[in-house]
Amino acid sequence: MVGYLLRRAIGTIPVILLISLLVFLLIHAAPGDPADLLLSDQATPQDVAEARHRWGLDQPLYVQYLRFLVNVLKGDFGTSFRYSDPVITVIGERLPATIELAVVSLLIAVALGLPLGVWAGAKPNSWADNLGSFFGFFGISMPNFWFGIMLILVVAGYLNWLPSSGRSTYGIARGSETGFYITASLLAGNFAAAWDGVRHIILPAIALGTNMMGIIMRVTRSAVLEVMHEDFVRTARAKGVPERAVLWRHVLRNALVPVITVGGLELGTLLSGSIIVETVFAWPGSGSLLISAIESRDYPLITGTVIIYTLAFVAINFMIDILYGFVDPRIRFEK
Amino acid sequence: MRATRWRVIRPLLKPKIVVGAGIVLILIVAGALAPWIAPYDPNAQDLALALKPPQWLFGAHVLGTDAVGRDILSRLFYGARVSLIIAVTVVLISGVVGVGLGAISGYFAGLVDFVIQKFVEVIWAFPPLLLAIAIMAFLGQGLGNLILALVMQRWISYCRVARGQALSMRSREFVEAARALGASDARIVVRHVVPNLFQSAVVIGTFAMASAIISEAALSFLGLGVPPEIPTWGSMLADGRTYISTSWWLALFPGLCIFFTVLGINLLGDGLRDLLDPRLKRSGSGIG
Amino acid sequence: MVAMAITAFLAGAQPAAARGRVTVGVTETIASYDPYADSVSLAYSIWCQVLGCLGVYDYSKADYVGMLAESWEVDKANPTIWTFHLRHGLKRQNDGKELTADDVVFSFHRINSDPQSQQKQNVAPVKEMTAVDKYTVRVVTKAPTATLLEYLFDRFIITGKDLYEKYGARDADRKYLWGWGPYKLKELAIGQRIVLEKDPTNPDAKPENPDTLIFTIMREPEQRVTALLNNEIQIAEFIPPQLAQRVRESKSAKIAEVSSVEIMFLAMSPKYKPWDNLKLRQAVCYAIDRDSIIKNILGGEADRLDGPIGPVQYGYDPAYAKRSLFIPYDPAKAKELVKESGYKGEPVDLYTPVGRYIDDKEVTQAMIPMLNAVGINARLRTPEWATLWSDVQKGKTPFYYMGRGSVVDPSPALWQYFETGGSPRIGISDPGIDKALAAESVDFDPASRKKRLNLAFKAIEDAAPACFMWGHHLLHGISNSIEFKPDAGGRIFGTQITVKQ
Repeated sequence: MVGYLLRRAIGTIPVILLISLLVFLLIHAAPGDPADLLLSDQATPQDVAEARHRWGLDQPLYVQYLRFLVNVLKGDFGTSFRYSDPVITVIGERLPATIELAVVSLLIAVALGLPLGVWAGAKPNSWADNLGSFFGFFGISMPNFWFGIMLILVVAGYLNWLPSSGRSTYGIARGSETGFYITASLLAGNFAAAWDGVRHIILPAIALGTNMMGIIMRVTRSAVLEVMHEDFVRTARAKGVPERAVLWRHVLRNALVPVITVGGLELGTLLSGSIIVETVFAWPGSGSLLISAIESRDYPLITGTVIIYTLAFVAINFMIDILYGFVDPRIRFEK
Repeated sequence: MRATRWRVIRPLLKPKIVVGAGIVLILIVAGALAPWIAPYDPNAQDLALALKPPQWLFGAHVLGTDAVGRDILSRLFYGARVSLIIAVTVVLISGVVGVGLGAISGYFAGLVDFVIQKFVEVIWAFPPLLLAIAIMAFLGQGLGNLILALVMQRWISYCRVARGQALSMRSREFVEAARALGASDARIVVRHVVPNLFQSAVVIGTFAMASAIISEAALSFLGLGVPPEIPTWGSMLADGRTYISTSWWLALFPGLCIFFTVLGINLLGDGLRDLLDPRLKRSGSGIG
Repeated sequence: MVAMAITAFLAGAQPAAARGRVTVGVTETIASYDPYADSVSLAYSIWCQVLGCLGVYDYSKADYVGMLAESWEVDKANPTIWTFHLRHGLKRQNDGKELTADDVVFSFHRINSDPQSQQKQNVAPVKEMTAVDKYTVRVVTKAPTATLLEYLFDRFIITGKDLYEKYGARDADRKYLWGWGPYKLKELAIGQRIVLEKDPTNPDAKPENPDTLIFTIMREPEQRVTALLNNEIQIAEFIPPQLAQRVRESKSAKIAEVSSVEIMFLAMSPKYKPWDNLKLRQAVCYAIDRDSIIKNILGGEADRLDGPIGPVQYGYDPAYAKRSLFIPYDPAKAKELVKESGYKGEPVDLYTPVGRYIDDKEVTQAMIPMLNAVGINARLRTPEWATLWSDVQKGKTPFYYMGRGSVVDPSPALWQYFETGGSPRIGISDPGIDKALAAESVDFDPASRKKRLNLAFKAIEDAAPACFMWGHHLLHGISNSIEFKPDAGGRIFGTQITVKQ
């Protein structure tokens, strides 16, 4: 098992390398000169040339790439053109916001999707099934950015229930909450701040999580449907186990495998979906950072963010594999 | 005779498939017949009639006009056309490329398989939207570029399935027999591997269509879609973004179109999967 | 239980606007702690009121007023020599150190030597600065520059020499951004918000000014308006015309309108066919029905430009606009010019940014049928900003819609766009324009310079490298709980805001 995982881990390295090369080539080949975009309107050609030199852009492409690789191995992802700070620092300040958003979205998706899927699968063609499936199809068909805009318009705009954008209200948050606002506030016992954070995160999390909710609902439903007909369920019922326990303890555990697989696969979609949702809600995460980095052709920041997203993606799939092994012992011993 | 025909048709009459197919049919009809049923030229401007609210059944502009006075309803019809073209083209091209590469990969195995699969892994690990953004930023606006960007992410699902099938086919008896008879590899792949993939391809295809439509909308929303003279639902959404609270019809209708079209395709795909995948047949199918 | 939860929700929804705290929703952001590393107008706005600028342009007086400097003069014998006299006894925030000429000279050197600096163009005409005595700075320009204040004021930010030398650039910028302005920097969350706190000891800071001034980035117009109406912010910058009604109709906020100093124009580069043809360029100017666009798309919230500048800019002569020199909407004449030009009907692309200027895509969309109607086969192209701006800067875009901001004294902008060798953006080389611009920039007498400026305008319009469209009205949403009159430069100074009650 360990050997298998180790081999898998090593196998991802060339993939990540190739991705870094791909990103590097793509962004350098894209039209748009960072010096033109980041310097002021009235910068002289000398200023532009000097900036390009400072950023190493006057070197041939392969030199730039090699230098980049060497630095990455040292743990240095370069310095952002725009923010003049190390890329790791810049991303590090924004990443917790995205992680918090992703986690809350996932929680919403699972908290809604899983039970709906179980009830739907347990009683196919009933009203529970129809209701659940309605949510399911709604979730997978709704474009998340449109949903976000509608939510802002209705909930924040007309109803005034929740704030329309941002992550926190100044004055409630102490200092710049670049970290895990909600979690840190809860741990510190600052409930006002935690509540403020929750109020800000709800709308974007709903917009982002709805798609995942739909998928989880559908997959859970079909998995439950399959499992319900298995022998051990009949046995459990015959033994007199209450229906509820049958459902939630026996059926669910076996149905979890495909749910986890699909969930893991869809996390990538969640990550890239967060990019648009962050833009719509002005959420100060790494997704909106990436969009503005692309807009200003901040090469090191773009490369760094993409690599981090990819690493996250690969890491998540890796963990899914491990989780798989625990949930379904049959897989552990497969080659 | 009648009985067998009924037996074929009956499973198709599940509400899911009927509703889904119905919506998709409306999409196809709207798109195909757009030049004839649209009341106005989608690019015909009339500044004096800008931002008129929907007049519903009795007005000149049923669903209202946009910021430069173009008729929303007509633009929706033409948008359906573009969405249709994009969805079908993307699915077909990624299907051909994906199945082709997957079949080759699985059938020949060895080094060919390794190289192709590494390629697949790289693309798969790339956050989906980013790849499309990068391609569009690099190549610029254009229908062809958009289709390329959308295909780049989607051929992988076909590839995986095709590869799996091809791998399992490799050692089957009839393949060995065919080879013994002198059939070329290409012929074997095409005649035997590909047809077995049809069912999976159809199911994958419907979901790929839905996601292609949403992705086009997302890219247009970010300003990276087709040039402005081609009306798409996504760009209508993007245009309507700064008018939402005052001229809600600009963004609401294209959004609804996207939503219902995708919903219809998903229902249809789901229903087809229920039909074609015998394992799940006995599990019933929820809505219908 | 449910009722309680909902009430709690709703109660939290309106954060009680803390007494004396004003939040502004802005569209730009500062990218660095280094005050010289940004060149967006928000940065100047903030650093001027935190660190201090030599002076600012006062739109209500239509003249330059000193901030850290109290007076200045040009040497009549040698007009390259300017002398600035600093205010005495200006105490710095936190440590009370007085402002001296050394700090000004140091700042000048830092702008030119700081690797992150994006403000070199603001001191471009200056050859050297020296400290004559503790409160006097001598500025020598490379050539006689009548418009020196346009470069320096509102732009030249003064930082402390001692702090920089003691702590080094990095720490000085991150921890010791103490200045001579009326507001202290409390927090700078890059890309999110900037928090300023009033310094009550500063003579310019009045009790009715907000104690805390927060700039928070909100790029989406709908978002800004919603936040304004929710009382999440008290000032919403740059509201597009279509959303203005919402604010006007609300009971909690109103719209403050001011004419912008940004000039919107269509540029045509003679380096590319078919724009090397003078008649075709002129035809474009006659083909656009600006009044219709202003009325129907911009809701009347723009002023048509009859000439390169409007009433808000320096050098405006109403008589010029009345003369037959200005270009009206005349599609018949445009058609004629197109025919005379010999244009064969090849497709031309009009490039426009999207979301960068007010309703940019909509107005250029409306221009396409107008161009088509006179026989110009035009298509609209909406590349993303990065690609477009980069290409424009390099002179690769033949035909585009753009704005030039911060035009108070038009000379620097006109040089940039229309002078031979100014910038590659249009690439026109017209001896008439060059001569006229050269004449106006060395004329220190305001009355005669104004005449020369108008001659330059005529030269530009004759050569038609650009068609001047309009100047937008800047619409700011202002909460009824404060009083603030925005100026044409779009600056937001805490000292100009009054918190009511």
